[in-house]
Amino acid sequence: MPKFATEEWGKEYVEKLNSNSNYEDAGKNWEGAITFVIQKDESFNKDAYLYLDLYHGKCRDTKFSFTESELPHSEFKYIGPYANWRRLINKEIDPIQGLLTGKFKLQGSMIKIMRFTKAAKEMVSTAATVDTQF
Amino acid sequence: MWYFRSPEIVFGEDSLSFLSLLSIKRATIITDRNLLKTDIPERVRRALGEGVESLIVGDVSEEPPLSEMTAHLGRINEFSPDWFIAVGGGSAIDTTKILFFLYERPDLTVYDVTPLVQLGLRKKSRLIAIPSTSGTGSECTWAAVLSEENEKRKHELASREILPDYAILDPALVLSLPLEQTRNTATDAIGHAVEAYGSTWHNPFSDAMAEKALELILGNIESVIKDMKNPAFRNQVHIGASMAGLAFSNSQIGLVHALAHSLGARFKLPHGKTVGLFLPCVVDYNYDSCTERYDKLNRLFPDKYRVGRLSDSIRTILKAIGQAQTIKEAGIDEKEYFSNLDALVTLAGESTGMVTNPKDSSSADLRNLFIKAYRGT
Repeated sequence: MPKFATEEWGKEYVEKLNSNSNYEDAGKNWEGAITFVIQKDESFNKDAYLYLDLYHGKCRDTKFSFTESELPHSEFKYIGPYANWRRLINKEIDPIQGLLTGKFKLQGSMIKIMRFTKAAKEMVSTAATVDTQF
Repeated sequence: MWYFRSPEIVFGEDSLSFLSLLSIKRATIITDRNLLKTDIPERVRRALGEGVESLIVGDVSEEPPLSEMTAHLGRINEFSPDWFIAVGGGSAIDTTKILFFLYERPDLTVYDVTPLVQLGLRKKSRLIAIPSTSGTGSECTWAAVLSEENEKRKHELASREILPDYAILDPALVLSLPLEQTRNTATDAIGHAVEAYGSTWHNPFSDAMAEKALELILGNIESVIKDMKNPAFRNQVHIGASMAGLAFSNSQIGLVHALAHSLGARFKLPHGKTVGLFLPCVVDYNYDSCTERYDKLNRLFPDKYRVGRLSDSIRTILKAIGQAQTIKEAGIDEKEYFSNLDALVTLAGESTGMVTNPKDSSSADLRNLFIKAYRGT
């Protein structure tokens, strides 16, 4: 069982994402990389970054790092503290409501991502399918 | 954690007179072309009282593109209002929200109107919405629909900062609403209540608004259609429509609006009519994912409309008020419709309504719903 915010978890997540036909359908017109930013908090002592190069319903490249500068630039960042990521993966927070209530932040063009809210939801649903250790 | 957001609502007979109680110095009144031919804008101007300067912008068309919405921004800037007053249906109110935003923040673009950007509005002015239709609910929502002329797309803009400060629900302003608009806007309101109730973001506040909205609309809309000038019936539907607006504004629209916005962007049909064309099909589609809540809503239907499931009851009321049952019946050419099917599916799939619908839908599901709504089977 991979531990959250590790390279192993990122690989497992991408594997599940690439076999999710609902995501493939919802993200079929999407082009752009997104980085999940897991911020340190009381239960996790350093920031972590999962870079996902998303293209037409598939993730064609991924990189994990504790140093943001080691990763390629991404068009979007979905940012939140570790505890909120845990709640998100456990489906205790809705990904969009999480943004609207300040539990997560999004950097990038809102007008673009608002057209792909279904894909965003599928990305989070996929994360919930990874058997995760926190 | 979630919110319930609402403007201060002034309602009932003579509520327009509330305007004279506000300290308004310079009001920009924004209304639509049809309403400008009536005495309503002038009644609003008179209700402001003595000594209030006003500028009437009166050529908002139905679902205007941005270029048309902003054509008068220069005049408005020059006039320098301290209040914006929207008088009309959804198009006039949404246009006013956009103009209010652009007047307050000329350094931003409409695409900055998202829930995630702090806009910092109300430095120069405030916003009142006075609906002259009973259905869009825009007077009570933090959303504005923007038609994109080049892309044939409807953008769903939203920010809590474009929620009006006041909504004035004066039944006298809807007494002259023509039959077709009366039934279309009521259909839109029924759609708002049903979608809000089925939304995955539903909450006790939005539920209460949706239930009461349905009670008021379903209990009175047929009487309104038979007796269009009756202020008592009109008042009930008018209040119900705003409550339906509050319901969906606080829990979000769903698949019906995703499909309806897509259809409306490609084919010139009134928004409320498009909502009615999809509502029963989507309720059928969602039923297995929302059985208990839909059954509960169905029990709110008056006996004369309640038949079988919620979708059947909806079909009955829509038929009773003279609404078209299929897209074909609404007059859309079959060949043209099906040649646009791919684009319709793509547009619907990109709507924010996809996220909060009680049942997830694939492109194939959307395609099936478009086909079913066209033929009725």
